[in-house]
Amino acid sequence: MRYPHIFSSGRIGPLTTKNRIKYAATETNFNTQDGFVTDREIAFLEAQARGGAAIVTTQGAYPDARGEGKGFRGTMSIAHDRFIPGLARLAGAIKGNGALAALQILHCGREGGVDLDYCLMPTIVPQRLSYFKPPREITPREIKQAVKDHAAAARRAKEAGYDMIELSGIVGYLISTFISRYTNKRQDEYGGETIKERCRLMVEILGAAKAEVGDKVPVGIRLCGAELLDDRGGNTLDESIESFHLAEEAGADYVSVTVGWHESSMSVITRDVPMGHWLWVADRVKSVVTVPVMMAFRLFLPDIPEKAIADNMIEFWEACRPMIADPDLPRKAAEAKTTAIVPCIACNVCFSRLYYHQPIMCTVRPSLGHEGEEEWGYYGFARTSAPRRVGVVGGGPAGLQFAAVAAERGHDVFLWEGREMFGGSVILASKVDDGGDELLRPVQYLEGKCRDAGVKMERGTTCTPEMLRGWGLDVLVVAAGSLFGSLGGGKSPRPDEIISGIKQPGKRVLIAGGDGVGLALAMYLLRTGGHELFIVEESGRLGGDVSPFYLWRYLQLLKRKEVRVLLWTTLLSWEHGLACLKSAKGERVVEVDDVVVASRQARPDMADAFRAAARDVYLIGDAKRPRRLHNAIHEAYRLGMRI
Amino acid sequence: MIPIIDGHACTGCGKCAEVCPPRAIVLEEAEARIEEEFCEECGFCAAECTVKAIAIPSPRSADHR
Repeated sequence: MRYPHIFSSGRIGPLTTKNRIKYAATETNFNTQDGFVTDREIAFLEAQARGGAAIVTTQGAYPDARGEGKGFRGTMSIAHDRFIPGLARLAGAIKGNGALAALQILHCGREGGVDLDYCLMPTIVPQRLSYFKPPREITPREIKQAVKDHAAAARRAKEAGYDMIELSGIVGYLISTFISRYTNKRQDEYGGETIKERCRLMVEILGAAKAEVGDKVPVGIRLCGAELLDDRGGNTLDESIESFHLAEEAGADYVSVTVGWHESSMSVITRDVPMGHWLWVADRVKSVVTVPVMMAFRLFLPDIPEKAIADNMIEFWEACRPMIADPDLPRKAAEAKTTAIVPCIACNVCFSRLYYHQPIMCTVRPSLGHEGEEEWGYYGFARTSAPRRVGVVGGGPAGLQFAAVAAERGHDVFLWEGREMFGGSVILASKVDDGGDELLRPVQYLEGKCRDAGVKMERGTTCTPEMLRGWGLDVLVVAAGSLFGSLGGGKSPRPDEIISGIKQPGKRVLIAGGDGVGLALAMYLLRTGGHELFIVEESGRLGGDVSPFYLWRYLQLLKRKEVRVLLWTTLLSWEHGLACLKSAKGERVVEVDDVVVASRQARPDMADAFRAAARDVYLIGDAKRPRRLHNAIHEAYRLGMRI
Repeated sequence: MIPIIDGHACTGCGKCAEVCPPRAIVLEEAEARIEEEFCEECGFCAAECTVKAIAIPSPRSADHR
């Protein structure tokens, strides 16, 4: 056993767990807008249970009838007995597959009221993130009601058959807003100078829930171990740690330690935060409580929680994103098949989709949300009755993903990659930002997947139409990636040449194009240093295709490093070191050493060139239209399902 | 779920096309159309639409099959 600590049994209250892995609560937007559980949600959590986690937690169900606690359109409700049958089916799907079922009760507070025009807070503190609703002060009567709502929700959870109950008081949700000095300035008994006074609501809710469900059903709570709100007058670290102690005193059977609020202006869960970075917070909590301590937050590889459990920093490893990417993570870790784990790359596409009222999606696992649909192959693909001979040009994410699915379905697949390394433009992307090397993990995973499925792969072989003559291919898939251009007949370096270190631009560089490519190039040049940068963008904003979870940091860095950003501006020409720019204000000239064209071109010409190589020729990924990583992977996966 | 555009309500202002990350929305005769092949189902367009001409279909409940 490679991970003896993770796979030792644990205890929570009266319950014994088969290992130390807990699938942590994650919103999905899979459920109906009026709060009922859907088959899609059930299939997703069933997959989590079948993957081998000891505990599977549901998404946070909102406990109030008005929906003030509802944070996302497709969140399930536990505000009425009519929701019990659906919640019971969900519990059954979890327990029937060998896991303990935990139900999370979540009142989103400052981030709630998604269908309303206000949200509830202890005191009115204007929203920092424009997405959220304008706050209204919660009345003493409503506070009493919230406590009752939580207790009633706990009762319903027990009736629906859940083994344990979790309360959530993190990131700006109702309980956390009472605990935090930043948002709780109340003069009544629910506010105060001391953390103990501000924890009163949490203590009352915990007490009421415990009283409702008795000793056999443990009640745990998620709290913020470090708010990272020092710039807003949030709790001190000591206060936050003390809140865990108060939770234990109030009867919590376990505590889950989280870090940061959604409005904290610091990276918390992105790739630039090293894995295991926040374990010290859990360690601090561990020193003040005796009940089990859990943590999620950038513990992606089993080696990190294994060590943390061994070092007595945490008792349980919580996983959200890593298990969205791969519900089978526990089983694979138990069998020490860590390279077979579908690796989460912390791109947060899942998370950001919630804020656009869409179901979560996973860059690296297209079958997310389709676990119950056979054709998506989550539990393995059915073999095709008509195997075909298939060629793939290009071993980037699109080519590899397509080849893996096609081969798993029983097709005979050949893949040629011109370079010595698989990965295509992901290789470039991996060199740009801190933690970028994590982007290579899906490439390695897909490579392994192709090998296991019997794809015949060749590296260092540039595929040409001539070469394919006589191969007798039924299908050819062109996944050759996009092309970068340059100005002045190659006089100026291309983004790929710069990022891979082949060419160095001069001191003053103008980047033409401010989408993901332009920003990546700017980040790269700012890190290498010694450049003065201009970014010219024709539209009104930078990074339109970049995840908001990363974009804010990039924009902050551009500002700090005094990069000159020119929006609504077009590059007209670049001659003799002078770039001519045009905007609504008129034309202007800037003196620069290099102009780098940060845009990519599709390769329809490739499809034409290979037209004769097979009966069916498909163009996919960036070669079809330059887009993001998830587009390449998803498009390829779907084509693999179809041919 | 791929958004649905109500052709009668769409004013053809183009805001949705502007915010669409994969550029999957084209304006045809002052009416937006989604190229489903390229749609990522992110919902940016629906959030941006000022006349509520873009709707995102809701899932069905497991209790009401």
